[in-house]
Amino acid sequence: MITLKINGLDVQVEEGTTLLEAAKFFGFPIPTLCHKDGLSPYGACRLCVVEIGEGPQAKLVSSCTYPAEEGLKVRTASERVVKARKMVIELLLASCPQSKIIQDLASAHNVHQQRFKQEYEDCILCGLCVRMCQEQMMAKAIGFRGRGERRSIGTPFDIKSDECRLCGGCMYICPACQLRCTYNEPEKAICGACANLSPPCLDKEEFKDMMCYMEPCVACEIKDE
Amino acid sequence: MPTLKSIEDLKKLRSRLSTDREFAIPTIVINAGTCGQASGANGLIRVAKYELLEKGLTEKINLRITGCHGFCEKEPSVLVEPNETFYPKLGLEDMARIVSAVAEGEIIEELLFVDPQSGESLEKQSDIPFFKKQERTLLGLNGKVDPIHIYDYIENEGYLALAKALEEGKPEWVVNEVKTSGLRGRGGAGFPTGLKWEMLAGQPNGNGKFLVCNADEGDPGAYMDRSLLEGNPHSIIEGMLIGAIGTGATEGVVYVRNEYPLAIKHLVIALRQARELGLLGEDILGTGFSFDIRLVRGAGAFVCGEETALIKSIEGKVGEPRQRPPYPVQKGIDGKPTAINNVETWANIPVIFRCGSKEFAKIGTEKSTGTKIFSLVGKVKNTGLVEVPMGITINEIVYDIGGGPSGKGKIKAVQTGGPSGGCIPASMFDLTIDFDSLAEVGSIMGSGGMIVMDENTCMVDVAKYFMNFLKDESCGKCFTCRKGTQRMYEILDDITRGEGTLADLDLLQELALAVKDTTMCGLGQTASNPVLSTIRYFRHEYEQHIVDKRCDAAVCKELTGAPCQTTCPLGTEAWRYIALLEQGKYEDSYQVIRETNPFPSVCARVCHHPCEDKCRAGTTGKEAVAIRSLKRFITERVSPETSKTQPVVLADKDTQKVAVVGSGPAGLTAAHYISLAGYKVTIYEAEDKVGGMLVSGIPAYRLPRDVLQKEINSLLNQNITLKLNTALGRDITIDSLFDNKYAAVFLAMGAARSLRLNIEGEESDGVYPSMEYLGAFNLREENLAKGRVGIIGGGNSAVDAARVAIRQDNVESVTIFYRRSRQEMPAYEEEIEGALEEGVEIETLVSPVEVKQKEGRLTGVKFIKNELGERDASGRRKPVPVPGTEFIEPIDTLIVAIGEQPEVESVSGTEIETTKWDTIKVDTETLATNKQGVFAGGDVVSGPNTVVEAIADGKKAALVIDRYLRGVELRELPRVILPQIFVEPVEVPEEELIEAVRAELPTVPVAERRKNFVEVNMSLSEEDAAREARRCLRCDLEFTQQEESEEQISSEEKLA
Repeated sequence: MITLKINGLDVQVEEGTTLLEAAKFFGFPIPTLCHKDGLSPYGACRLCVVEIGEGPQAKLVSSCTYPAEEGLKVRTASERVVKARKMVIELLLASCPQSKIIQDLASAHNVHQQRFKQEYEDCILCGLCVRMCQEQMMAKAIGFRGRGERRSIGTPFDIKSDECRLCGGCMYICPACQLRCTYNEPEKAICGACANLSPPCLDKEEFKDMMCYMEPCVACEIKDE
Repeated sequence: MPTLKSIEDLKKLRSRLSTDREFAIPTIVINAGTCGQASGANGLIRVAKYELLEKGLTEKINLRITGCHGFCEKEPSVLVEPNETFYPKLGLEDMARIVSAVAEGEIIEELLFVDPQSGESLEKQSDIPFFKKQERTLLGLNGKVDPIHIYDYIENEGYLALAKALEEGKPEWVVNEVKTSGLRGRGGAGFPTGLKWEMLAGQPNGNGKFLVCNADEGDPGAYMDRSLLEGNPHSIIEGMLIGAIGTGATEGVVYVRNEYPLAIKHLVIALRQARELGLLGEDILGTGFSFDIRLVRGAGAFVCGEETALIKSIEGKVGEPRQRPPYPVQKGIDGKPTAINNVETWANIPVIFRCGSKEFAKIGTEKSTGTKIFSLVGKVKNTGLVEVPMGITINEIVYDIGGGPSGKGKIKAVQTGGPSGGCIPASMFDLTIDFDSLAEVGSIMGSGGMIVMDENTCMVDVAKYFMNFLKDESCGKCFTCRKGTQRMYEILDDITRGEGTLADLDLLQELALAVKDTTMCGLGQTASNPVLSTIRYFRHEYEQHIVDKRCDAAVCKELTGAPCQTTCPLGTEAWRYIALLEQGKYEDSYQVIRETNPFPSVCARVCHHPCEDKCRAGTTGKEAVAIRSLKRFITERVSPETSKTQPVVLADKDTQKVAVVGSGPAGLTAAHYISLAGYKVTIYEAEDKVGGMLVSGIPAYRLPRDVLQKEINSLLNQNITLKLNTALGRDITIDSLFDNKYAAVFLAMGAARSLRLNIEGEESDGVYPSMEYLGAFNLREENLAKGRVGIIGGGNSAVDAARVAIRQDNVESVTIFYRRSRQEMPAYEEEIEGALEEGVEIETLVSPVEVKQKEGRLTGVKFIKNELGERDASGRRKPVPVPGTEFIEPIDTLIVAIGEQPEVESVSGTEIETTKWDTIKVDTETLATNKQGVFAGGDVVSGPNTVVEAIADGKKAALVIDRYLRGVELRELPRVILPQIFVEPVEVPEEELIEAVRAELPTVPVAERRKNFVEVNMSLSEEDAAREARRCLRCDLEFTQQEESEEQISSEEKLA
């Protein structure tokens, strides 16, 4: 067992536990976006940062990937953490304001404005879909391509993957949501699962501003009416 | 190649190699690293080989092809051993001559390196300033070793360090040696290498361990690793072998980027040769120790230099960093313990074992030992690779080794550590360079890139450049790094286009800190450094872009337009009048000048032409267009009377009156424009001639009196009344002006009082302040100088006084005494040259300490000699008096020209506020003093300054006073002035463009200007002027042509 301090509380966890798991277990909430139980930790969204160490050595690390260490002092909501988290949310809002999950995060953390040029991106590259496809669906149909600004998610060479079973797992897990719904262009689709749903939401244009959370697929419901 | 079976074999081979070598035979060493080859070394090699074979010299002269020696600025270069004769920048024909000369044992004088400071030819490489201050423990071998000949390396004690480590046999000893040496990782972070090795050695050795050489060098402008790999690959192999002994590693990997083909080639050859010789692989030198190295080529992603990403790349996965812990030392390649060190770190290992760890630790500072290679690039004379001991100051690198600024611009900062590093301003150049000091000032050592920046570098643009690099090179995994760098770039881009706000600047800073805090790997954590350090040290530049919409470096296109126009204090469209001149439209050209400048002929002679400093033709490698000379050409052909200024609105009796105090360039300009607006203006001048400093300060040989008078006359009109011999404070006061119904007052009395030396005996007869001396002659034709004339100072007024004195009768000799050296004299170079031609002598590095006098009459001056000490923030070295070097110089007339200041006594006792520098305090935007209705401008506000700045102040005052009298807001929002009028460009033949050199003004021969005041500079011929005008790059077209094409499109659309 490893003993560490979370927000001043001495706790014991098993070796191999991440800081996020430890904090959650002991009741300290940490917001996450690219983390899902059942998928391997990735550390892409940086929302789950916590402060470790003391004095000039203190630093922020992503709690979902950082392993619990003996004697570590963790602060899950220090001023530095909160400030950084707010900036992460502001950046998310600036890029992907249409996502309900991001909107909820923003209101939960009192972020009411974003000061950057507004973008409407479909994807925040959290990589949940990639891990879902690989680890839960055992398909490895999609992955990351490119780096920096040009990084994106897709099938190799943008050709519909034979590995893809149109399971819709990627859509299901997507926090930005609109990404996976390529609706009526199944050939281009990463999974095209929505086309499998009944009734299919084939006419993308009509639901341009709509958010699809899949549980249930609002777009489809509205289409029904 | 027979395999070496034991350590003894290796030693035998080494002693055989070194005894076999005939030292009497000279060797021609040709630099042929990538840089050398790019500048033509391959041609030299071909010629050298041909000549050697052709002349049958193969037995008499050795030829060695090596990697880079470091002095890239002078490539392709050749070194001749054993004398170390250095021949820089050679052509093919030079090579043939060198071969012959070497055969004869001669030296070719004219091909030798010429020291730009002393002008002397230097033979030996080690005497050249660039090499002198370096300590080339690593790079030195590059010149001695042919990288594809392992025997060369062995001959130079290569692999002996390995032998030593093998003999010693104990891993702990090896690790301890490295620990004692204090070596820290050269990749940037400076982690103690010994500690890393110890950690690796402590890992369980079940499945094997890895050693990695990180040669994924990706910083823009940094190439020291490449040079080491190309020039001396065996040192890296040897280093890794020793590392393997110490850590128990079984496998080595060199991760090198594929963009380094020569490095890869040399490394592959070196690995093969080492294997063949039994120095690599199984049972090395018969000791039972095994270790092999393989090469992995990186595809060139910057992030793969980060160790966890590098490991993924070696494993064949996407190069993406991961969370540490676990550290690579715990879990590296394929999950096995791995230690990763930089190329330069590995290259240092054999050095430690050759000279002993204690000796090694003596180099450098206590906490950063050894040497460090920097790639010195940017706006510095000697670019190249420099290897210096840690603890050297930036000043020494930039000025002593680098030779100072490459152009005319002052150096303002260095950027260290590549995209993850920061900028260090010139004021901090006395900083000693080591890992910790650089981190303290917000930069990093990084792998050793050092980019020198001068006044023509915009710091916002620098930050933008790096951010552009990083947003492309971030792996993209961490949201804050990927998006953060993009957003920072976006904000910086807005700022450089003049669209940023101060709130953006705060946001930028906030974001930069968040990115630093919330990213996973080193790339993200340091990505903000270029932004944070430039904001920290150059915030004023950011604010200038945002608030004033100005980029003083003339880099940001959208804020600069045509640099000649934006840098002109008057906004003169130099590009336009030059284009019109080329077309022969002289009158139109004159009107363009006159539109913004009331003194075209004056400025054509005495302007300090900031336009030429920022001219793109000059900042992009060639010479600036001689804009002032072209202006001179135009003003020679068009008379001021023809200028069509706006008609004067006749003043009636209700018109408000404005008083202008001082008739110098500021006062006259203000009076002129105020009168054009319809106000009645009275100019009060203390002297009995109009013109202020133009008359009293500037000698007639620079500015002929008739030219000046004509121009002044053209500015006067019926709205202007002149009152000469009327001084403020003596004949009038500000209150009396207001009592006389003047609605506004503009103070432009200039700065006409010379500063005093404040030394004993200064009151003696025969000692004159320069302004008094020049004024007496220029205004009253009194010759105050006689006999031996001494002048103290090094500025323009010192040189003016000297050149006036030498023209006067009764003067025997004129000597300027200056406290620094000739290079540091602030006077215009052409003026100094002119003075020297005319017989003025210059004595430098002396300061006066006492004026000797006899019965109140000057007899001589006691001077003390100076030497140059530390550099100040401007990069100039401070003069330091040398005790005991005092001497007395007999002098009959002493002119003190060490600077001027305004005479603010004229306003003392009034409410007008002054500063501690004895200038009048104004709001710089409106020129308003603290008293309502009173404005001030020119030298009385700025202290001694240039004519064109005074004219600019005069223009501004006229505008502001008009607004004041009309009762509207004085301030105007700053706006960007871009070229607007399209002038058809001319086709310039390619050859002319290549051959074109800057036109210099012809001067009157010295003999013809002795003892008279004929104008020294003549005008350009029509042909020369047109040719010079064609050298203009026409920066304006980028802005004007586009509009035109849009118009064309729309007109074409209409037609359709």
